[in-house]
Amino acid sequence: MNPGIIRALAAKDIALFFRNRFFALITILGIVLYIVIYFVMPSAVDESLEIGLHAPVLPPVFEQLSGEGLVFEQIESVEALADAVADGDYAAGVALPDDIMEKFEAGQKPLVTLYFRGDVAEEVQDAVEVLIRELSYLQTGQSLAVETTTEVLGTDMLGEQIPLRDRMRPLFAVFIVLFEMMGLASLITEEVEHGTIRALLLTPTTVQDLFAAKGLVGVSMAFGQALLVVAIVGGLETQPLIVVTTLLLGAVFVTGLAFLIASLARDMMSAMGWGTVTMIILVVPAFSVMFPGATSTWAKFIPSYYMVETVYQASCFGVGWADLWQNLAILLGLGFAAMCAGIIVLRRKFQ
Amino acid sequence: MSLNRLGILLRKELWQGPKSFIFIWGIAGPIAISLVISLVFGTLFSQEPRLGIADQGGSELVALTRSVDSIATREYATVAQLKQATENGAVDMGIVLPEGFDDAVSAGEPTEITAYVWGESLAKNRMVLAITISDLTRELSGQQTPIDIESVTLGDETNIPWTDRLLPLIVLMAVFFAGMTLPATSIITERQQGTLQALVVTPTTLEDVILSKALVGVGLSLCMGVLILVINQAFGAQPLLLVLVLALGSIMAAEVGVLLGTIFKDVTTMFAAVKSLGILLFAPVLIYLFPQIPQWVGQLFPTYYIVQPIVDISQQGAGWADIATNVSILAALDVVLAGVLVYLVARLKQR
Repeated sequence: MNPGIIRALAAKDIALFFRNRFFALITILGIVLYIVIYFVMPSAVDESLEIGLHAPVLPPVFEQLSGEGLVFEQIESVEALADAVADGDYAAGVALPDDIMEKFEAGQKPLVTLYFRGDVAEEVQDAVEVLIRELSYLQTGQSLAVETTTEVLGTDMLGEQIPLRDRMRPLFAVFIVLFEMMGLASLITEEVEHGTIRALLLTPTTVQDLFAAKGLVGVSMAFGQALLVVAIVGGLETQPLIVVTTLLLGAVFVTGLAFLIASLARDMMSAMGWGTVTMIILVVPAFSVMFPGATSTWAKFIPSYYMVETVYQASCFGVGWADLWQNLAILLGLGFAAMCAGIIVLRRKFQ
Repeated sequence: MSLNRLGILLRKELWQGPKSFIFIWGIAGPIAISLVISLVFGTLFSQEPRLGIADQGGSELVALTRSVDSIATREYATVAQLKQATENGAVDMGIVLPEGFDDAVSAGEPTEITAYVWGESLAKNRMVLAITISDLTRELSGQQTPIDIESVTLGDETNIPWTDRLLPLIVLMAVFFAGMTLPATSIITERQQGTLQALVVTPTTLEDVILSKALVGVGLSLCMGVLILVINQAFGAQPLLLVLVLALGSIMAAEVGVLLGTIFKDVTTMFAAVKSLGILLFAPVLIYLFPQIPQWVGQLFPTYYIVQPIVDISQQGAGWADIATNVSILAALDVVLAGVLVYLVARLKQR
């Protein structure tokens, strides 16, 4: 292998990549968009149901139950309560009658008025009705002989929920490296289509030089951009070394995939076709992080799972090497296998 | 223009078209996107807390939880499955109902529920589930509600579920993805490969070739629009009116596709332009997604006149009288675009 040739080829590839307006544009737009999306999204999770309450006489259970998951805020008058609900300050408004306690004591049913905005989801309205009914049962001393034993599964994140934007970090990383996979695959396909690779191989450039240059460009483009975005969105605040290693191994893996796609593709359109299909499959595990429970254990059979899960665990929970080394080992193995397979099949195509 | 030659060209397009990536993607893409959106926004973005139940004794509580709109209920055959689902986040809370639960509750005898709570479940979801279980158990035990509840809805806004809000986006994507990109890429590819020049030195005219490509685009676009509405069960009470609007929308999509095909010299530049200018096509659906934006702004964009009648018919049950103005504007826009195309094709012919 000749380092001078590899350097020249890598410089040529980077210049070619940015000459392709489509990929240059979506690359830059993508990076900006990911960062904008991250910072536009809420940085905290609203865990509580906030309810406005007008109660001339406040039944004691309303005070007792106000806490985790439920916030009652007292409002002076019914009119102010209705205005606050209409303005969207509360999910609902509850107006208790003046004589609620007297009616409870007399065994009569007081009338409680609930206020909702027209655009509040039906399930929220039902939930508030159930809540008020339950509070009235408690206030009237109607007990249940049911004992509930509660066990929290996994880390209890009450009060420390991870905002959706932080859950999206692995999605950003996966999207970026996958776009680079498409970019590299189309770059190679374009060169095969135009015959420049055959022309290059007639010069002192060897196939090894060619792969080294393409691999270098692919890995550094994917890794560099993913690292930049993940760093800006705060993904390196905990366990930075693990996150960086994961992104690097992920970049190696997608570079191998890019070689495979380029070997399958006949032209630019089919490179985009194969690239898109691969991208859709590999992006699935990122959804399992964003929406837990949406995918089951089958997501573990998708190679990108090990990248997504590692970035998520390390950047959101600060999980260390002892728990994540297996993921990294699998990712390393997958990267090596994809690279070897890609080089073998693409080499056959060149020759 | 010869109808015979047009027929031959149309047959060729229909024979060759399905072999291209764009044709296949024009069919598979909108279906995949529609399914993903239904999954993500239909289920995952729902505000309903999710309750899992492992019923060991045929309790009526299961049927009662199913009848409540404020929570989503899933049943599990074994406690192990319930625990697994809770641990994965498929449900916020999983409860085990023991054998004889209903009898014990009815008799007021002590009984026990085991509840597994997902560590990442929000506080308000835990609270809503706990009070709902309690409320339904009281119903099962025959306790009488001690209050009357009156609900008051404030304002004219109505809650539009995300699945409904996203329907215009899915339909527009289905119509434009195939209808626009198929003629555009086909014209550009034929120009690049020189087959267009070869064809027009025969008795076939440029108009014949372009019209055949546009007709395939219109056909595919119309089929995809209808299919997406069928998949989303949004055909409403006026299917013929919907088909009319979709047909006019498909004509617009194909016209825009031909326009791009005659303007751009290569597929890459065309895609780059679509990427950056696509916002003009999709602006009305983005405005519809966010009710905070003044809705009249959408009327400034041509695709509004496709989207609005579809929404009116499928979601509001509108008839011809309600959509006549918008449909007339859509037809007029199609005629104007056709005029522009006649001019551009004449210029292309001269070149």
